[in-house]
Amino acid sequence: MSNENNKFTELCAGHVLNALSESEEQEFQQLLTQANTDQIQLLNEMRAAAAELATLNSAETPSPSVKQQIMQIAEASSQKKPTNAPVHKMTWYRLAAAAAVLFVLTSIGLVLYSTGLQEEVQNNEALISQQQSTIERLETEVKRKEELLTILEARDVDLVMMDGLAEMSPNGYGKVVWDKQGGNALLQVANIPSVPIDKDYQLWFIVNGQPISAGVFAVNDPGIDNFFKIEQLQSSASEGAFAITMEPKGGAPQPTGDMYLLGNM
Amino acid sequence: MLFFILTTIGKFLTKDEERDRALMARIKARDATALSELYDNYNRLLFGVILSILKKREEAEDTLQEVFTNIWQKAEQFDLERGTVYTWIVSLTRNKSIDRLRSKVYKEQKKQSTSLDDEDVFHPLYSDESDPLENTILTERAKIVRDALNKISEKQRKVLQVAYFNGMSQSEISEEYDIPLGTVKTRMRDGMLKLRELLAKDIEL
Repeated sequence: MSNENNKFTELCAGHVLNALSESEEQEFQQLLTQANTDQIQLLNEMRAAAAELATLNSAETPSPSVKQQIMQIAEASSQKKPTNAPVHKMTWYRLAAAAAVLFVLTSIGLVLYSTGLQEEVQNNEALISQQQSTIERLETEVKRKEELLTILEARDVDLVMMDGLAEMSPNGYGKVVWDKQGGNALLQVANIPSVPIDKDYQLWFIVNGQPISAGVFAVNDPGIDNFFKIEQLQSSASEGAFAITMEPKGGAPQPTGDMYLLGNM
Repeated sequence: MLFFILTTIGKFLTKDEERDRALMARIKARDATALSELYDNYNRLLFGVILSILKKREEAEDTLQEVFTNIWQKAEQFDLERGTVYTWIVSLTRNKSIDRLRSKVYKEQKKQSTSLDDEDVFHPLYSDESDPLENTILTERAKIVRDALNKISEKQRKVLQVAYFNGMSQSEISEEYDIPLGTVKTRMRDGMLKLRELLAKDIEL
């Protein structure tokens, strides 16, 4: 038997008889944490042998009140636990706390969901707005093209070609498609300068030496062909000329500015 | 060896242990009537154990109540691997009794009342009464233990007896009987090893 085992056995005998001092009991409990299987078995056997000594005591009868008090305590706690199953009763405050937690979590979830939805709605609204303006622009374009097409489709039209004047627009080009019956005309211009912000181009129909205003327009992109619809251009004259001059914004009763295009019927 | 002790003190023990384990299972399931039955089986034996250590009935009754309240409240801690229900309950009873005996409050009370050394103090060692316990199985077991003790040297037996029945610590025994502490420890160790061996041997017979 090793010294260590001898120590364990000695302390073990004292332990099962409750005869150790406090410090020795602590020492034994410490040894017990590292005890091997044989030592644990020794402890259990010594404890069982010591317990057998109790049979040698003369039996004594305690007062009946002892049992009554024990049973009162047991029955009181037994009633608190009427079932064997581990049923966890939900008290009102636990229920309230659970409901509150659920409410908070649901609210947070809804706020996040709502924020997400709001962003999506805003994005969609921006997209819709963008698409709507595109549609409106395209509709306007289509409408304008339809109107121009209506003029071109007229069976009886006069075509007047205009050339640029050497000083102002040597490469200028213009064309008037005039539906006399409908009183509408299509004006096409190219290669004439952009108009300043305080100016407009004005189309003149000159008949018998007298200019008649046929409308004002602005050219902002001279690199492309610009089309304009001229309304209420009614005349029965079979001869005349068209001219385009630059006039103050909104046009003038009589031509005052430089001429850019000119063409005879 | 525990196996032999348990299964063999055993021809007597098994029946009691089966009954006790069934009671413990019911107690764990919060069946108060099972605690009542366990009390009826062991209250006189345990009260005798407590009284032999504490000497005073009132203190002993308080302790007995504490023991059974503990059994009720800590039934879950009972571990079959560590031994029988009987051993668990007796160990619990002795632990509670010794704790109270060695508490400062109890020591103060003791100083003001009787001394353990007085002749008139309730001072039972083991009993030679013909029927100290109403339970015949326990009576049979008592006979086996008594026989075993008689086979241990007197010096060793005396140390075991005063430690167990009077609740004396090794140092108290050393002082009381003027025996060197080391000798007390050796006698206690050898006595317990012998008792353990004898109980197993008796069973084998």
